[in-house]
Amino acid sequence: MATVTAPTVRTGLPGLLKHRALAKLVLIALAAAVLIPVVNARWASGSWPDALTVDLSEPLGRASDWIIDNRDSHPLFLYFFGHISNAVVLSVRAVYLVLLAAGWAGVTAAAALVAWRTAGLKLALGTGLAFLTCGLLGMWVPTMQTLALMVVAVLASVVLGALLGLAAGLSDRTYRALRPVLDTMQVLPAFAYLLPVVLVFGIGVPAAVLATVVYAAPPMARLTALGLRGADQGVLEAVESLGTTARQRLMTARLPLARKELLLGLNQTIMMALSMAVIASVIGAGGLGDRVYQALASVDVGAALAAGIPIVLLAVVLDRVTAAAGDRLGGDGPETSGRLRALQWGGAAVLAVAAAIAARLAGRLDWPEAWVVNIAEPVNRAVDWMTAHLYSGVPYIGGTADWAGHFTTWVLDPLRSGLQGLPWWSVLLIVATLAWLIGTWQTALTAVLAMAGIGVLGVWQSSLDTLSQVLAAVAVTLVLGLATGIAAARSDRVERLLRPVLDVFQTMPQFVYLIPVVALFGVGRAPAVAAAVVYALPAVVRITTQGLRQVDPAALESARSLGASSGQQLRQVQLPLARPALLLAVNQGVVLVLAVVIIGGLVGGGALGYDVVFGLAQGDLATGLVAGVAIVCLGLVLDRVTQPTERRRTTKGA
Amino acid sequence: MRLRTTSAMAGVSALLLLTGCGAADMTKQASPFANAQGSKTVTLSVQSWVGAQANVAVAQYLLEHELGYRVDTVQVDEVPAWDALSQGRVDAIMEDWGHPEQEQRYVKDKKTIARGGELGVTGHIGWFVPTYFAKKHPDVTNWKNLNKYADELRTPESGGKGQLLDGSPSYVTNDKALVKNLNLDYQVVFAGSEAAQITQMRQFAKEKKPFLTYWYAPQWLFKKVPMTEVKLPPYKEGCDADPDKVACAYPHTPLQKYLNSDFARSGGEAAALLKNFKWTTEDQNQVALMIADQKLTPEEAAKKWVDSHESTWRAWLP
Amino acid sequence: MSTLTTPAATDTAVDAPVFSVENLWKVFGPKADRVPADPELTALAPAELRSRTGCTAAVRDVSFDVRKGEVFVVMGLSGSGKSTLVRCLTRLIEPTSGRIAIDGEDVLGMDKARLRELRRHRASMVFQHFGLLPHRSVLDNVAYGLEVQGMGKAERRARAKEIVAKVGLEGMEQRRPGQLSGGQQQRVGLARALAVDPQVLLFDEPFSALDPLIRRDMQEEVVRLHREEGRTMVFITHDLNEALKLGDRIALMRDGQVVQLGTPEEIVGSPADDYVREFVREVPREQVMTVRTAMRPPESADEAGRGPAVAPDVTVSEAIEAVARTGTAARVVDDGRCLGVVDSDALLGVVAGTNTGTNGAAPKPASAVPAQATGSKAKADTKADAGEEVV
Repeated sequence: MATVTAPTVRTGLPGLLKHRALAKLVLIALAAAVLIPVVNARWASGSWPDALTVDLSEPLGRASDWIIDNRDSHPLFLYFFGHISNAVVLSVRAVYLVLLAAGWAGVTAAAALVAWRTAGLKLALGTGLAFLTCGLLGMWVPTMQTLALMVVAVLASVVLGALLGLAAGLSDRTYRALRPVLDTMQVLPAFAYLLPVVLVFGIGVPAAVLATVVYAAPPMARLTALGLRGADQGVLEAVESLGTTARQRLMTARLPLARKELLLGLNQTIMMALSMAVIASVIGAGGLGDRVYQALASVDVGAALAAGIPIVLLAVVLDRVTAAAGDRLGGDGPETSGRLRALQWGGAAVLAVAAAIAARLAGRLDWPEAWVVNIAEPVNRAVDWMTAHLYSGVPYIGGTADWAGHFTTWVLDPLRSGLQGLPWWSVLLIVATLAWLIGTWQTALTAVLAMAGIGVLGVWQSSLDTLSQVLAAVAVTLVLGLATGIAAARSDRVERLLRPVLDVFQTMPQFVYLIPVVALFGVGRAPAVAAAVVYALPAVVRITTQGLRQVDPAALESARSLGASSGQQLRQVQLPLARPALLLAVNQGVVLVLAVVIIGGLVGGGALGYDVVFGLAQGDLATGLVAGVAIVCLGLVLDRVTQPTERRRTTKGA
Repeated sequence: MRLRTTSAMAGVSALLLLTGCGAADMTKQASPFANAQGSKTVTLSVQSWVGAQANVAVAQYLLEHELGYRVDTVQVDEVPAWDALSQGRVDAIMEDWGHPEQEQRYVKDKKTIARGGELGVTGHIGWFVPTYFAKKHPDVTNWKNLNKYADELRTPESGGKGQLLDGSPSYVTNDKALVKNLNLDYQVVFAGSEAAQITQMRQFAKEKKPFLTYWYAPQWLFKKVPMTEVKLPPYKEGCDADPDKVACAYPHTPLQKYLNSDFARSGGEAAALLKNFKWTTEDQNQVALMIADQKLTPEEAAKKWVDSHESTWRAWLP
Repeated sequence: MSTLTTPAATDTAVDAPVFSVENLWKVFGPKADRVPADPELTALAPAELRSRTGCTAAVRDVSFDVRKGEVFVVMGLSGSGKSTLVRCLTRLIEPTSGRIAIDGEDVLGMDKARLRELRRHRASMVFQHFGLLPHRSVLDNVAYGLEVQGMGKAERRARAKEIVAKVGLEGMEQRRPGQLSGGQQQRVGLARALAVDPQVLLFDEPFSALDPLIRRDMQEEVVRLHREEGRTMVFITHDLNEALKLGDRIALMRDGQVVQLGTPEEIVGSPADDYVREFVREVPREQVMTVRTAMRPPESADEAGRGPAVAPDVTVSEAIEAVARTGTAARVVDDGRCLGVVDSDALLGVVAGTNTGTNGAAPKPASAVPAQATGSKAKADTKADAGEEVV
């Protein structure tokens, strides 16, 4: 933990804060001096004392048996979950059939035309190309399956999120009640959502869609509420002064004023739904994710890539088009008349239908097999070459396997044994101290309770194992991310070069990282850490760069006028002023790293990630759910411990 | 306030109305992707190992090209696959390594799953060392001597002990108990997925490093990395009854097929073909090797096998 | 008071007050209700009130009438409560206590529908920060008030178009607010308020956010509109010059209270207290004061028959010009009757500020009555005064 937060505590805290921090430290020390001897005498053990754990495996096992036995008979399932599940299946099926009926030409044309109308010609071309590439890679049908699932999941998330956001945007009480929940859901790794849903709905598309909705709705709700609450009060007052009814105010002013946030929410929801739709292949989502998952099983990096590229393309296209649509709406371009717009949309629709019919008449509804390009083979050869030459025995620097070995031996092992060797109460104490120093006493309390929850669940050791991986990964991420971020902030050229790379890495589903890292780093915790670093790096770099670039130019100018060298400017002006952004980068880094370290259970990361995978694989609710809850707790602890008092978090992938 | 109560009442009654329309048994829902183009569709569960993919690939090829079905495949882990099979979300599991608990629940109690006969392949799980290592140290093949080699088998992940590499969490394994009960100086390291495990084993083999791994036969990797089994205390009926006290080898299991009961009854030609499907370890390995090592797509591999083994599969057709 | 309740409002429609405000309080803070009701609390100074109760009185016991067709200016520095006051008029901010009537109808007693009706048709407001809808074109912004009333699209657009032309924005109908300059945006805000053809226009510091030149243009625009349409206006400003330029009458506010209410001339000529005096010190008095204030009775018939004639509402600076040109005292003539004379001494006295305009012979001034700290008295005086004029 010290590696993460020590710098933030040391760097230029103003005098007053230092004073307050000191007071907090004294208070904690006092509390510790009183409590520790008592606690230690009562439960003297290094690890979490057995007397304080609750064994849930029996009741959870019974619950899971009960659900399986009653799933086809109990009214709760027949009359409630059954209908939900039915509705999901029906709607996914409907969308899927429409997509298939439109054929590849129709879908591509429709997508390109929609992109053209909402985002301009360039993006329309990109969209068309992206869809054609999906076909070219032989992934047309899986792409359509994922798309069908996405459409339903995104629609449901948007409706649900917008309704929640509306409630929270219009009522203070709802907002206060909802906000901590949404904040917490935001930091949870996708994997933690899967088990409970699977338990109720069983493996399959309904479970996948619902897990996706639960994962993707919070950003929509958050941003809707933010947008409604952040509306220009002056405008609202003016609108009220004209004698509007509450409904008129909502429809003609509040919602249109929040349209930027609403579109950003849509954008976020789509991105999160896509990443979840891929992870949900573990519980039977089908589609592209399933292809990646199957390719993983046969160590076929090429095939995994062939399925991964359409995912990335979908992600980039959806991201760009919704973002561009948002910019357009937010912009001040002259209003085109309604009739012209209707005409253009109508024209687009006609064109799309024409393309679909043409393809159907030409008998080419399915993507022609002859047009499929097999990229798996060359990719695999390249990967083989890479692993053969990089894995070990590279002169001087050693192979990647050697690095992984050293990293495991010299960083991960000592960190893990250090953490696990700490007396349990001292871990709580450290958590409390850090959370309180950085945040408020409420955040500290949440963090301590969450940490204690882990102990009570009886997964203390493996949680600390996971924690050690997270800490190591975060440390590496921050070192690399801050360095890159500083470089990008200081040079436009570096930033321009980095931007597309960051975009792609950020939209890439977490799954895609796993196989190459195994090929390079072997099995174990090292590849899990490596995957986590790669996944979290883009966000950290981006936030750092933005933070540094947004530093008040006047402050920089005055520093320059005093003759500060560029190094001095960086150290004395930019970094201290960008402190909120840097703290945010740490917070985001921690959250993202945790998500991937958990998935690292699939490549030998062990600990909680393995337990979740085990729970899913064996249908063992006791192991899986306990691990899932522990992950939730760990996520809370990490988030609260790294959360500065002024919450200024952007949402994932923003 | 009154408005709120009224709307709440309206909501509740609407919900009642909605749900009152009838029961919806979600255990009877098929995949939304099934039957998409109006053809007869069969959904097969593919497990994560390549042997299972080989079964499914050949079955799929025959169903599609000989019987005109459309086949969807879903990758599901073993235990959840039983659940999905029971719900009819998949129609058949082509290769099962023995799940007595699930068999009791679904086949005997709920009768939602029917046995589909033997696959013809006998599976065996065990501990293996690479043959190049066994040749150098012939006595490593007996578990009693394993502790002697613990030092050589150490990795960063296993800490101070020797490493016993285990695979996917979905596989049947007693390794932790075995290591404890046989007093071995080893640490079980879970690769987390078979893919990761295979990648690791091939890396070791490339450098002729020694390793000890949980593995199973039939498996195509034996062709690429020859391995020798380490003898564990012999298997006796019931010696693995208590998972905590296991101290014996894994049994040899004749692999089974399972079909969804409804599908077995009314699945027509497809069900008949899947019931008849029976081939040898050799056949399966051939297809598996094409998929995993030559990186053919399962369809291409199946086509190659089908083209050269017509007599075998002719017998399966209804 | 009698002016409110007696038939005064009904006798001559022309003179009935459009807005009549009486003992208005707006207190922010916990349990704000108790403050106006408790004489002990009302007597407290603002700082004391806050420390005792945690409440802030933004509007303290304010009373005034707005007459039909006049431009009534409320002026004060920031924090004086003037913006809160104008919002209370249409209950954009709910007053704590007091009475407000529009055309004799009680505003505070209105139900929601009636209140909406008031805002839709009778009083519309122009805001300091414009409050335009950024996603709508200029035309649709102007038509917004009509849309809210439920007017059909074609009709409201046609009407909006006229208004847009009236405020000088022809050709910009399809632009978005973001593409306009501040002055143009405020013209849109003005047009939006005018579009619904309200009885009263409320302005809340409409020109404070504009730069000086544009501000002058906009002031001219308001003067022109008022001249052309004679619409009643309530105008909030912190700019004394603006207040003097536009206002028929001015209420000067400080700490939530009206410290003085009167014509510009009265405010400048006879400040009610040191605060007002300090406020108007820099004002070029000769441009505000009229000869009516500076004149004295003619000393002789000769004096009453000679010299240049000026009207009583001519400013002192104009009279100075006339006197300087002819070298003799000027006569103040109204309807051919000589009211008095102004000589160079009297005029100089105005410029120097020594003449406070209390010449006995002057007609009874619509006198600047100082509003004392005890609001009730101030109100009584004002009312009495107002009543006198009405009758």
